[in-house]
Amino acid sequence: MKFHWFNLMPWPHLPDDFRETNRSVWVDVDSKLYDPVEGHRVYNEYLDQLEYAASLGFDGIGVNEHHQNAYGMMPSPQIMAATLARRTQDVTLLLLGQSIALYNPPTRVAEEMAMLDVMSGGRLVAGFPVGTSMDDNFCLGSNPATLRDKYRENHDLIRRAWEDPEVFSWNGEYNKIRYVNIWPRPIQKPPPIWIPGGGSVETWDFCAEMGYNYSYLSFNGYVRGEALMQGFWNRLGELGVEFNPFQGAFAQQIVVAETDDQAEQMYTEHLQYFFDKCLHVYPGFADAPGYRTENTIRAGLRAGGAQGLGIAHTLTWDDWVREGYIVAGSPDSVTEQIEALATKLQVGHLVALLHCGNMPDDKARASTKLFAEQVMPRVKHIWEDYEDHWSPKPIGSQHVATPAPVLSAN
Amino acid sequence: MKFHWFHGMPWPHLPPDFRDRSNSVWVDVDSRYYDPIVGHRLYHEYLDQMEYAEQVGFDGLIVNEHHQNAVGLMPSPQLMAAALARRTTRAAIIMLGTSLPLYNPPTRLAEELAMLDVLSGGRLVAGLPVGTTMDACFAYGANPATIRDRYREHHDLVMRALSEPEPFAWNGEFSKLRYVNIWPRPIQQPIPVWIPGGGSAETWDFCAEMGYSYSCLSFDGRFHAEEVLDAYWSRLAELAVPFNPYQGAVNQTFAVAETDAEARERYDPHLHYNWYVGKHLDPRWANAPGYTSERTMRESGAATQAPPTPEPSFDERIASGTLIAGSPESVTEQVEDLVKRLRVGHLIGVFQFGDMPTELTNRNTRLFAEHVIPRLRHLWGEYVDHWSPTPLNRPEAIGRDQTESKTSEQAETLELAGIN
Amino acid sequence: MAELKTLDLRPGGQTAHVWEGGDPASSALLFLHPVTGIPRWGDALEALAKDFHVIAPYQPGWGPAKDDLPGVRDGLDLVLFNVDLLGTLGVDSAHVVGISIGAWIGAEIAAIRPDAVQSLTLVNPLGLWSENHPGEDLFAQHPGHPTAVLFSDPDKRAELLMEGRDALDAYVEELLDLRASAKFLWPIPDTGVGRRLMRIDTRTLVATSANDNIVAKEMGDIWRAAIPGAQSVELADSGHLADLEAPEALSNLVRDFTLSGA
Repeated sequence: MKFHWFNLMPWPHLPDDFRETNRSVWVDVDSKLYDPVEGHRVYNEYLDQLEYAASLGFDGIGVNEHHQNAYGMMPSPQIMAATLARRTQDVTLLLLGQSIALYNPPTRVAEEMAMLDVMSGGRLVAGFPVGTSMDDNFCLGSNPATLRDKYRENHDLIRRAWEDPEVFSWNGEYNKIRYVNIWPRPIQKPPPIWIPGGGSVETWDFCAEMGYNYSYLSFNGYVRGEALMQGFWNRLGELGVEFNPFQGAFAQQIVVAETDDQAEQMYTEHLQYFFDKCLHVYPGFADAPGYRTENTIRAGLRAGGAQGLGIAHTLTWDDWVREGYIVAGSPDSVTEQIEALATKLQVGHLVALLHCGNMPDDKARASTKLFAEQVMPRVKHIWEDYEDHWSPKPIGSQHVATPAPVLSAN
Repeated sequence: MKFHWFHGMPWPHLPPDFRDRSNSVWVDVDSRYYDPIVGHRLYHEYLDQMEYAEQVGFDGLIVNEHHQNAVGLMPSPQLMAAALARRTTRAAIIMLGTSLPLYNPPTRLAEELAMLDVLSGGRLVAGLPVGTTMDACFAYGANPATIRDRYREHHDLVMRALSEPEPFAWNGEFSKLRYVNIWPRPIQQPIPVWIPGGGSAETWDFCAEMGYSYSCLSFDGRFHAEEVLDAYWSRLAELAVPFNPYQGAVNQTFAVAETDAEARERYDPHLHYNWYVGKHLDPRWANAPGYTSERTMRESGAATQAPPTPEPSFDERIASGTLIAGSPESVTEQVEDLVKRLRVGHLIGVFQFGDMPTELTNRNTRLFAEHVIPRLRHLWGEYVDHWSPTPLNRPEAIGRDQTESKTSEQAETLELAGIN
Repeated sequence: MAELKTLDLRPGGQTAHVWEGGDPASSALLFLHPVTGIPRWGDALEALAKDFHVIAPYQPGWGPAKDDLPGVRDGLDLVLFNVDLLGTLGVDSAHVVGISIGAWIGAEIAAIRPDAVQSLTLVNPLGLWSENHPGEDLFAQHPGHPTAVLFSDPDKRAELLMEGRDALDAYVEELLDLRASAKFLWPIPDTGVGRRLMRIDTRTLVATSANDNIVAKEMGDIWRAAIPGAQSVELADSGHLADLEAPEALSNLVRDFTLSGA
């Protein structure tokens, strides 16, 4: 099993009455809550944490894209990935991902990911999410009625821009370019492609058709994620795709301390901050008309109505653990829960959200260190019988460049 | 006087018969010339060179945007700026720049500028060019007939997104957005803006109107640039903008060595490579119809297709001003002359060109930093520079796990070792 | 009384799903539906059919034509669909009544094919934008009741739009109708028709509803001012969907305006 350390990069200073005084953490969230001077410290602290996780032996470190969002402050995760490419040596860079339908033209994504793959020596995972309705439709103004069609066209154009060595012209519905011929080109041909998604039927079929990894990114945890993840595996089975756990990834909030009690004491307030403030999204921004397809709407309704509108903030620590919103406790408890997660979800890639909400640096590092040293060694053997085709294939160490030491400029 | 270090990031492995085998170095250049494994090492060397320039005392590090171009390997200079932001602590990070019309919606660019300004602690300069016709019209398919209107609308939207605290709706000709409300927001209000350009009348008026700094990026040498900047300064004066040398910048290629003779010997092959591949541009790409405004067409005279010129010799380059070369003393004299004639406060130095290796690049950089900058630093001391960033005084925020401290003695050792 | 027909408009062209009612010998009236489509042959259409030959098509993308959305990209495609439909039905010209997004389509037809339009009634028109009168965002609504904002009282949605239909189908159709609307009105409902309104030389009436959360009364004034010779009037006691909330007032208004000029 592979473990990836992921930071959403939340703003840690939302006020206590945020829920009462703001209708949404996303789209129209009050920009005056943000302080760029403190933001400078926060960004650098978060990047330090990602690099720290790499030094502890995590397989990957991950970033993602959100816009106008106080819990995800990376409108361009590629910018963060660029800093990591230059400051880490052998860890996977999980760019999960760039919302490819938002680029006009999307050859930009092909270029940026090629740059990152070259900078990192072939360590890039290319995430191609459709993107949320909040980001795509409300923040960047993308038309929900054509979003999925455009996603597919942009995907096809990016793949061809990476792989066709000749200059070609592209006369699409959404892009018209007479000369496509990107420089530089990626090392991996192509980088492994992961499709982060919430659970649309079309996404599963797309992963099956293209052989891509499906990454279920929800904040509802592994217990609630089981039905959906099984839906994915069943669909792959129906389509005749041979089971391989590494074709699936799952994102999970995790906190580790010396003991279960200590975990509760240390982390409750930060998880509460996350569930209460960070997931406070105005429902009117959740689903622009046309964002979900008719199939997905009908399937969702059959499965019992709108999900993900978030009740976790009304629950207690024990509920969170029992219902799997969080994997938490001592290293022994966490190991057990990870084993249960792996059994239920059958995923080979775990996207570990080890920084939560307004967690301070020392706690994020403590939790990360315990997980790396006392949990990972006991669970990494899971799925060792399967071959992972969805991790990058970096260049050999004889080719890897070592950046010159940074000198003090003062 | 401010001294900046520019990297074009050229591909150094084009074959000696490149011109015979290829139509152009830009747009349709054969992708098979590029080797991504070699490219990996190259990117790191180039970034090392830029960080080295900070260490030896340059004021700013400059990256820029080109597409489908074998002599400019940065389709997204933002990524290079990001890498520099986490490996440097003091220098201005100057993106010169990002091609405004190519971001749709341009709020993406506003977000990226904000991210980089926050990440770097307020060290960002935003260069906002239209983009060349090769990049914008041919590689990206932007419509040349509307590109200047798009540029202006994008500019207005980006500036408002960076400064307006309330969410707002934007109903433009080119962008329609119901909720503009970017996160994060930049540290600098405003981020200094530089407008790079070849010398169009609209650009100068725009700089005057907005209070931006104009960067004359000329590859025809400093004597040509002098004409352009004379016209620029005159235009500002006509528009009643008080003279300030920091409202102008110019680029200049340098080749510094211990002696004039050594400069000639060591740099000539790289100048040749740079000319041979860099100037190999299919003229069909050079001016998509509509890209140049009528006013500029009329003011710059009838369209003439410049005949191919033979490669200039080392001495001819110096004579035409495309190159400043020689010992630190000769270079200092020539730079002083340039600064006084062109009246610019920002000098954009090109120290790596063509297939120049790291060791020579760093030597070029260090000789300039040690011997030229200190002698000319005082120039324009009586003017206030409003076009450099105003960073936070918190260099400790740089990543804490990997920073190492080195003395200047070690710096020289590293330079001699070619850093890698 | 009325019939839902399926017509092929021309070889290789669209298929139309169209309600047709009233006496075919009466004056033709082209009814262009609002963002919510035509949930049923309702009271407004029934009342209009007493005086007119009512032709009420689903625009491509709405209702039974939901799968036709990819075939239309812009206003011109919608104009051609409606012009082709009239041609197929043998109607040379019609009184055109458009509500909500339908008002925009009606204005486009009048600007592009003035010969096909005898009179134009625009009710709660969408298609122009004013930063000073943005109204509620039609598309940023709670997914549990996405069209409640279109009514003067949100509870009327259940009664007027959803009642008498299979709950799941009605909800899915509600979302898909909004999807079709978004294709033309996202993210800001400025369709560019403002550049063409001065071409309209047909008798035109602009009506706004007193309790419309989406289209402010001032927007009606902007439309009226842009169309030469247009008149305007207010419909009391209705939200955005005047066809559902005020069928009688709407049909009276249309009848009075349309026949007064005959």
